[in-house]
Amino acid sequence: MIPRYQRVLFWILAGASLLMALVLLRGCEQAREKLTRHRNETPLAAPVATASETARLALADDADGSITLEDRDLALPTESTARARALLARLIAEYSYKNSAHPIESGPAVDDVFLLDLPLQPPVAAGSNPTQQPAQPPASGDLAIEPHGPGGQLAVINLHGTFADHHPSGIEPEMLTIDSIIGTLYANFPRIEQVRFLVDGHPRDTLSGHADLTRTYPVVNTATRTSQETR
Amino acid sequence: MPAQPSSAPASMLNHNLILLDPAHGGPDPGATLSDRALEKDVTLALAARLRTTLTAAGFTVIATRDADPSVSLTPDQRAEIANRTHAVACIVLHATTAGSGTHIYTSTLQPPPPDEDAYPSAYVPIPWEMAQAASVGQSQRLAGDLASAFTKGSLPVVSGQAALRPLDNLMCPAVAVELGPLLVPGQDPTAPTDDNYQQRVVSALTSALQTWRDHADASSGAGNTTEPGAAGLASETSVSRQLPQPQASQPRASRGQP
Repeated sequence: MIPRYQRVLFWILAGASLLMALVLLRGCEQAREKLTRHRNETPLAAPVATASETARLALADDADGSITLEDRDLALPTESTARARALLARLIAEYSYKNSAHPIESGPAVDDVFLLDLPLQPPVAAGSNPTQQPAQPPASGDLAIEPHGPGGQLAVINLHGTFADHHPSGIEPEMLTIDSIIGTLYANFPRIEQVRFLVDGHPRDTLSGHADLTRTYPVVNTATRTSQETR
Repeated sequence: MPAQPSSAPASMLNHNLILLDPAHGGPDPGATLSDRALEKDVTLALAARLRTTLTAAGFTVIATRDADPSVSLTPDQRAEIANRTHAVACIVLHATTAGSGTHIYTSTLQPPPPDEDAYPSAYVPIPWEMAQAASVGQSQRLAGDLASAFTKGSLPVVSGQAALRPLDNLMCPAVAVELGPLLVPGQDPTAPTDDNYQQRVVSALTSALQTWRDHADASSGAGNTTEPGAAGLASETSVSRQLPQPQASQPRASRGQP
């Protein structure tokens, strides 16, 4: 004979299980509706055939700490930021090849590149008159970055956190990666004067424990030799 | 031609004092050199060896850390310790698994213009981020002395400039020495944890620092050892120097075999 309290407990647990199953099903339906509602309905751009062109990559070599400019035939986008991102992605990809002179773990490295005209202007609030002068002009911090010449640009490179986390740690490997990126920008984007680095959209002290990522780097020729000199 | 520190800053330095900064420590392990070796332990071991040989050579050695602390020092704290000592040389020690041989780095800051007439007459405070600018010329000469000693010791060396904290905040002749694996063709790589390799590096460093001290003595008079602690931190110091540009306008990558 089953005691009465056990029968009551059984039916309570059975009811609770049924209720939880219904809540779970409803949650799944809601999640699916949410995903469907936010699906990007923008039509994909039609593929466009792009002719290959010669781009210069500043390739690092850990053995002697050198940076060498080498030419590559690449099909690159015409839009500047997409072009810079594609070029830097190719640069980092070269380091993931077997027998690379500056080995870096393969994977996405550059999330995005933003090219900003210098001097930087403060953002204008929506609805305000863009010709109106700001009440307090920027005096310090990032907004105080000044161009070295007319038409100069600041490149903000947003790196993936996984790239920074798995980058070889050390002064030489980290500085070579930064110099390699800067040298490649210098060789292909004459308007870019300065570079800042972000990781996952946020400032970070170092790339992987050593090279300072908090500063603004000048875009200079970091190459120590050309490909002709190495042959 | 051996390097010589310029006389004016050298007279403020304690010519028998070396500041060692074993990088990382505590919760900051630095690079993982092997399954059982962390960069913070290797730099500490290297600093201990270097302290022994430098003391035997007549130097007084101050280190930013002598053990693995529970809380790691920030770069600003390391620079603060170093700037209070007025050491004749500040050596920041690192280790890595990349590259070959020893890497010697100085700050990317540019030295102030040599023309004294170009300096403004008013006293201008040095920004903390540019404290090394006044000493970067000496740092580059010190790096040259170190590279020469490594070459004499048959140790491969790569010299360059690096955006590395706290180098830019140091007011002494400062270099970062990074110990990489020793690659000899036909032989297995020698890891930075190898005792013999570390001893060879320590011998080269000691020899170069002795030469550096001799030149500092010669440039400012023998036995000139101003006691440390006479001046404050870089942020508190005023000098009549034109401030150099904080960003390098020349290629940083001046690397290569010496």
